[in-house]
Amino acid sequence: MKVGSTRCASDTRRPLVKLLSFFFVILSALAITVSTARSQAPTLDEAARPQAKESVILLTEESAPVPAASTPAKPSDEYGDVTSEEVETTSPKGPQIADPIEPWNRAMYHFNDKLYFWALKPAARGYKAALPEEIRGLFSNFYQNIKAPIRIVNNLLQGKPGYAGIELARLVINSTIGVGGLRDCAGECFGIKGRDADFGQTLGKYGVGFGFYLVWPVLGPSSPRDTVGFAGDWLLTPTTYLSSDTFDPVKIGLYAHQAVNTTSFHLGDYEALKAAAIDPYVAIRDAYVQHRTEAIKR
Amino acid sequence: MKKMLIGPALFVWLLLPLLAFAGVPLDTVKANVNGVLELLRDPKLKGEAGKKVKEQRVEAAAQKLFDWVEMSKRTLGLNWNNFTPDQRKEFVQLFESILKDAYIEKITAYENEQVNFTKEVPLSETTVEVESVVIWKGGQVPINYRVIKKDNDWKVYDVVIEGVSLVNNYRTQFREILGNNPPEKLLETLRKKKGTT
Repeated sequence: MKVGSTRCASDTRRPLVKLLSFFFVILSALAITVSTARSQAPTLDEAARPQAKESVILLTEESAPVPAASTPAKPSDEYGDVTSEEVETTSPKGPQIADPIEPWNRAMYHFNDKLYFWALKPAARGYKAALPEEIRGLFSNFYQNIKAPIRIVNNLLQGKPGYAGIELARLVINSTIGVGGLRDCAGECFGIKGRDADFGQTLGKYGVGFGFYLVWPVLGPSSPRDTVGFAGDWLLTPTTYLSSDTFDPVKIGLYAHQAVNTTSFHLGDYEALKAAAIDPYVAIRDAYVQHRTEAIKR
Repeated sequence: MKKMLIGPALFVWLLLPLLAFAGVPLDTVKANVNGVLELLRDPKLKGEAGKKVKEQRVEAAAQKLFDWVEMSKRTLGLNWNNFTPDQRKEFVQLFESILKDAYIEKITAYENEQVNFTKEVPLSETTVEVESVVIWKGGQVPINYRVIKKDNDWKVYDVVIEGVSLVNNYRTQFREILGNNPPEKLLETLRKKKGTT
């Protein structure tokens, strides 16, 4: 279901997760920042975080002996009890992930959190103030279009040649009539909707599990499976071949720009999630797991 | 002759409940969401004063649309049964205000978004998932609302954004606390949390 601009493969991570997962941003982001940076010390409330010692998620729903079972709800038990059937059928237990290296992951989460508040966010704010939404939208389309090979190959690998063909058609139309991918003409003029696909998703469809939770600095929430997936997607991204040097300035600049451009559309998302979370680390881990599980089901 | 009519008549009669059901959950959510969007685009509500009005009205709309008790129950799962009636009440209040405080600013910041409601999928006899897509220049995000029928009204008890269920997300967080702590510990955490926002 793609109208407007399709979101790209590595972008399938949900925006909140995405915010954290930004590529080699630091250097260039800082450069862009200098003019706009208002060094705001982020007020991070870590107070609410419980000392979660147990590294593996607790699956136990049962707890202490049911208290007050005999004391009939005096003030008024207007809300009533929950039956297991009610809970299971309408809110099935979400997918879970093992977290054996939680101390590492938490450290990386905090690193990425700082990266967002100190570099990415100020950069994206200045950028948003400087460029109108239309222009930023063109860049979104461009980066989306350039990742078409990832979607074409992975739709094929997932046994969906029809969508691979559609993504190929979208690539051709958008690169020509859409002026080098700046416009999503396939979607807007012809109503051709593609399908997101990435290599981690393909592996998941083949039956490969997450393995365990793994947070990378800069790249954000992942797992061994999705890390392999990321490498596969990276090999299918044309900009990878701009030069043989992995840390080529042009490539890093493009990544940084893409990160800032995407973030300019998602300012406030991560802040809201963090403000609402009891333990932001657990909230993001769960969001990652739910999001990826859903992507594989699709 | 009469016999011939009974068949179709029976068929139509059997279909009636289905027809009455179809579309109502979707329309309910759609009307509320569109109402909020219209409000957010209102050119008269600019600036600080307008923002206050917006926040109040968004909150009123949320009050009408969401079933906080149902949401709380599902978030706690069977742990809910270990809470005393007073604890349940307090939990619902805290959970509701934490969610509102965290998201109100984000919601009132919306302006140019377009929301398309696509379809509804029945989950059980009394619950339905209403699917929508939010489209703006930066891309699009699927947002699904899980609604439950209560006294002839449809109320949202879960929001699923890009496959991430709010209820499940909190269930995972709360489970870590309730796994080896009494309900009071969770309430304490929530009270502290509310104090900081």
